Amino acid sequence: MRKFNDINYLPLRAKGSTFDSKVGTMDWVLFVLMFIYGLIIIYPFYNAFLISISPAEVYNTTPFLLYPKGVTWDNYAAVFKDSEFMGGLKITLILLFAGTAYQMFFTVITGYALSRNRWVGKNFVMNMILVTMFFGGGLIPYVVLINKLNLANTLAVLIIPGAIDTYNMLLMRNYFASLPPDLEESAKIDGANDLQIFYKVYLPMSLPMLATIGLFFAVGNWNSWYNAMLFIKDPELRPLQYVLQLKITQASSQVDNLIIDDKFSKEGLKMASVFFTIVPMMCFYPFLQKFFVKGLVVGAIKG
Amino acid sequence: MNRKLIIKSNSPLNDIGNRTKQSKYLILMIIPAIIYYLVFCYFPMYGIIIAFKDYTFGTDIITSPWAESSGFGNFERVFHLPKFWSALRNTLIIGVSKLLISFVAAILMALIINEIRLRFFKKSFQTIVTFPHFLSWVIVAGLVLNIFGPSGIVYNITKATNGTAVSLTSDPDFFLPMIFSTDIWKEAGWSSIIYLATMAGISPELYEAADIDGATRFQKIWHITLPAIKPTAILLLILSIGGILSAGFDQIYNMYNPAVIEAGVADILDTYIYRSTIQSSGLLEGEGAAVGLFKSVVSFILVIMVDRIAKLCGERGII
Repeated sequence: MRKFNDINYLPLRAKGSTFDSKVGTMDWVLFVLMFIYGLIIIYPFYNAFLISISPAEVYNTTPFLLYPKGVTWDNYAAVFKDSEFMGGLKITLILLFAGTAYQMFFTVITGYALSRNRWVGKNFVMNMILVTMFFGGGLIPYVVLINKLNLANTLAVLIIPGAIDTYNMLLMRNYFASLPPDLEESAKIDGANDLQIFYKVYLPMSLPMLATIGLFFAVGNWNSWYNAMLFIKDPELRPLQYVLQLKITQASSQVDNLIIDDKFSKEGLKMASVFFTIVPMMCFYPFLQKFFVKGLVVGAIKG
Repeated sequence: MNRKLIIKSNSPLNDIGNRTKQSKYLILMIIPAIIYYLVFCYFPMYGIIIAFKDYTFGTDIITSPWAESSGFGNFERVFHLPKFWSALRNTLIIGVSKLLISFVAAILMALIINEIRLRFFKKSFQTIVTFPHFLSWVIVAGLVLNIFGPSGIVYNITKATNGTAVSLTSDPDFFLPMIFSTDIWKEAGWSSIIYLATMAGISPELYEAADIDGATRFQKIWHITLPAIKPTAILLLILSIGGILSAGFDQIYNMYNPAVIEAGVADILDTYIYRSTIQSSGLLEGEGAAVGLFKSVVSFILVIMVDRIAKLCGERGII
């Protein structure tokens, strides 16, 4: 039997209920359903891409495009030249690397400490952490806290409050706890201390799980805008998603300043920015999918 | 001397001391976490007393005066606001419907994926439907506006065909269906994974035996697949009940607009608190904290209740 530690254990290999090789009506129904739903998922992306590459005069004269009529990359060029957007990208990249490393560090060491049973007060600390999953102070006290810590309107507010994600921490804890305890015993006999055991024995064995959690954090950082919306006033500190949000949803649209001549349509610019933000995810996602899936499956079954 | 030794080896305090000394590095590793949770989770819990005070941002919590009506003034005022009740009603409608709809959608999605027989199709389909989960609601809102919003496709087509342009995103009747369908669009594929994992664990012999008995595919799904995922389904349903009052700030915030807020269909408790305390005005800080506390307490009671019920029904509890 495969174990969950095996990265190849994926639900993608589910067998289904039929072994008959004949293609029946049900298969056709399924195929049609799958096709339609797949289109529904893909169409908004396709449409956004189509608008982003359409010249303004095509967009303004044809209400509905099914295939490109004329291709221009001007919108993307404008997005690349947009200082707000590029500034946002810079901030997001900082979050992506520094933030992910910071979150990984604290989440993983906490998970490890909580997976060992020997120390006094472990249950107390565990309960103290679990309570926070079910009860919180709410928005106003959180804002008061950030102001008290003088974090408002700094880059740090986008990173520091995310140090430990309780869900990911428990995932990590459960993973460490599932590794054989004999390893720790024999390292102990060889004279290793807890830090060495953690660093030299348990960490190298946990690479798949570390990758999974790292990816969860990375995606979270790439997508983060909530703290920025609450606390960032300085336009230069806005992360990408927040810049994008202002461009898309604000009534006084921020793309106006980019429309220098008739060559650009507002929608074209908006969709170029949206698509620009989706592309990195699109490129990496198919390769990383199995890690995400694994994280979800392990977490739900053991957590 | 002898007596001292005996005390040393038997005293529980000494035992604690020794164990702590032996595990000093583990303690060292947990200290950042203790500080983190105290500061970022427990300080806000202490900050809840703002709900009972006349507090304004920038002043000191301790020295600010208690609210009138022996501290419950903020609650009294909030409970008399029609906007609060409208937000609470919307939260319940959106929270409960989203819970049920996404529950059914995830199971249906898992059944469909599970029944696809060509491995290539199954894999690509799953990749496609899982993908939107990794996008932020900001992006999803951008894509949706581009189709249904002002200057979106629907707008352009209706303008070109009958002259009256329709912007569905500002239509109050369209708001809830849009929230539910985008939730399915974004999350159904991802939520189905856990059911697929459970289905992968079903013994093929059960299906083979059913084949021999002449069962149809629907019968196999009904009598084998669904019963097999029932415990997982119940557990997940229970787990999500605690989150009903968090009907999805990210989604609502990115998809609502003044037109639907005015119509009173869009505001949920979280957006209401944010908009009327931080973004613009409408609530005092104490009142905002009171709404937040109300939400936290009700959610907590829901979690405890659900946990008790689950345990009574013989399911594994969550606490």
